[in-house]
Amino acid sequence: MAITAAPPTAPTATSAGSGTTGRQSRRNTLIGISFILPNFLGFALLTLVPVVAAFGLAFMEWDSYNPAEFVGLDNFQKMFGNDTFWIALRNTLYYGIGHVPLTLLCSLGLALVLNRKLRGVRFFRTAAFFPYVTSMVAVAVVWNMLFNPTMGPVNQLLTTLGVANPPGWTSSTDWAMPAVIITSVWRDMGYYMILFLAGLQTIPVEYYEAARVDGANAWQRFWHITLPTLRPTTFLVLILLTVGSFKVFDLIVVMTDGGPGRATLVLSQLIYREGIAQGEFGYASAISLVLFVIVLLVTVLQFRLGERKDR
Amino acid sequence: MNRKALAAIGAAAALSLTLAACGSSSGDAPEDEATESGPVELSVAVWSMDQTPEFQALFDAFEAAYPDITIKPVDILADDYPEKVTTMLAGGDTTDVLTMKTLTDYSRYAGRGQLEDVTDLVTDYPDGKLAGTDGYDQDGKFFAVPYRQDFWVLYYNKTLFDAAGLDYPDHVTWDEYADLAQKLTGTDAAGQKVYGTYNHIWRSVTQAAAQAQNEGADLLSGDYGFLKDQYDLNVGLQKDGYALDYSTAKTQQVSYRTMFETQATAMMPMGTWYISGILQAKKDGKSTVEWGIAPMPQVDDVDQTTTFGGPTAFAVNKASKHKDAAKTFLAFAASLEGAKAISAIGVVPALQSDDVTAAYFALDGMPTDELSKEAFAPDDVALEIAPSDITADVDVILNEEHDLIMVGEKSVDQGIADMESRVKQDVLD
Repeated sequence: MAITAAPPTAPTATSAGSGTTGRQSRRNTLIGISFILPNFLGFALLTLVPVVAAFGLAFMEWDSYNPAEFVGLDNFQKMFGNDTFWIALRNTLYYGIGHVPLTLLCSLGLALVLNRKLRGVRFFRTAAFFPYVTSMVAVAVVWNMLFNPTMGPVNQLLTTLGVANPPGWTSSTDWAMPAVIITSVWRDMGYYMILFLAGLQTIPVEYYEAARVDGANAWQRFWHITLPTLRPTTFLVLILLTVGSFKVFDLIVVMTDGGPGRATLVLSQLIYREGIAQGEFGYASAISLVLFVIVLLVTVLQFRLGERKDR
Repeated sequence: MNRKALAAIGAAAALSLTLAACGSSSGDAPEDEATESGPVELSVAVWSMDQTPEFQALFDAFEAAYPDITIKPVDILADDYPEKVTTMLAGGDTTDVLTMKTLTDYSRYAGRGQLEDVTDLVTDYPDGKLAGTDGYDQDGKFFAVPYRQDFWVLYYNKTLFDAAGLDYPDHVTWDEYADLAQKLTGTDAAGQKVYGTYNHIWRSVTQAAAQAQNEGADLLSGDYGFLKDQYDLNVGLQKDGYALDYSTAKTQQVSYRTMFETQATAMMPMGTWYISGILQAKKDGKSTVEWGIAPMPQVDDVDQTTTFGGPTAFAVNKASKHKDAAKTFLAFAASLEGAKAISAIGVVPALQSDDVTAAYFALDGMPTDELSKEAFAPDDVALEIAPSDITADVDVILNEEHDLIMVGEKSVDQGIADMESRVKQDVLD
């Protein structure tokens, strides 16, 4: 993400001559750089170089062993003419549109409830965070059982509530994605709840006291004080959620493996399948490049919108 | 302060040099390989050793025969095996022997030139007939030697057949098989449902069977009309409740072993690799099932048994530093001694001989009836799917459409039509 560090400002020289100021400034810059350098080197070697190399690979054909061959835009041509790619892209967007707002609302709701002085609030906070520390594989397997169309508790509950034809969940092309989204919201909301809780606790109580004196009701206090002061946290959560939902992989692989058919196949899974499993690393890199551009555009857009609101 | 900065740069530079050194050692073939004397440690890539006892049996027998070579297994989770080996080879890994789990994987590694040519081990073969070598033929060259050859048979539960007063499934047709499944469906003494048969979720249960038994059928051709009857049969079985439905089997990750060993099904088409599994389960007291094997049901009422299956082979990594020792291991695994070592635990070796078969049926716990012996000697074993450069792509499409037909999202006709249009459009064009 494009977080730019403010350049070290030169200290205002009060008594020393002008030569010292220049040296001082350069010295400070060097110190600044030296602080970032270890981290940056690691990042450059282990992330930046592979990422740039992957972008190069997008224009080549490579089987991971023999020398790569430059093929121009062939990979992209293949991708845009292949309906599996479009299905995966659509599924990824579907997942994001379901997962991001739902998780945001649920985690904010949880945080608001658990920010009060309730008996046993610590227990409930831990309970809400628990899904996040649970192994993804265990989560997916257990939810798969809960969603079993005939014997699962979810459908048994729906039947007792009077639903005549409960959905087939992971064995139905229409309901597999909602099932995955529900599971992921359940898993992620505890984590983002913690972020919101931290945000909520930075809001000065005086604001609420003043609002109460002015006669504001609970909804007005939430709408005019809590939400605006929480905006930086909401923004962070939104960015993290969006990037996370474009990268979704593990949950889908364990829970549905992209099925039934291609109903839950997402881009990151397609990249893995084409690259690691099928050995078409160039084609897989081309899909990664497209995914990267999409994530970049969405994130830049979100930053722009965030900035405009701040003004 | 400046000194600290320098130290940080120095540390980072040292780190990057180390990393560069790691990177540069990959890819190149070793220079000296001819001279091998003294003890050699041979690394062999295998999957899930604790559930695949044949590897240990083979290693023990090999080490006993060649005391100066020790085997170091590289154990990889079975589900991730092909991906893991691909990544290893891409990183210049020097693991000496690689087990070829499927023919598709084999053709991929061989096509990339990652395997050593071992044609001489296949052509000058001293011990008799080695089954399943055809699949490894790459324009007259061989890059792997098969050591086991599995094929599909029909497992059945003798107790359940006896209780229903039915004859064992001796050379039945698919229609007779469906009929038996209906008659065998019911409930056991504890009130638990017993299914007439169990089809595991793999597409080969339906597709490879249809390909093997229909003249001219080819899963790579893009024409899939030959699959219709087999799909109608299997979809019908689950719709009528004579077989556990696919959705449940898939979402609950039902184990075929559990289905058969807990006697929840009376019949089950499955590969011969499962024989060692049942033997082990019965030995450990985990199951009391009285079982037998019969030839796979056929399309037509004929005496010929046509089934399908696939060999498993060992190959030598081109980047191996102990190629001679590795080839010695390949030769041993395919030899009579190797065959004896794995057949002793119920695994079907690629080497076919009367001795091996006799030893196999002498195993403790093996059924000894004539039908089981006949099932063990099918007339024809077709490949599950032919290895080629399009196999992997076709496989993905066939799996996805199989999934949709079996969960009931698509009719059989629609599923087959979509297989045809997708394979033609995405792969063959």
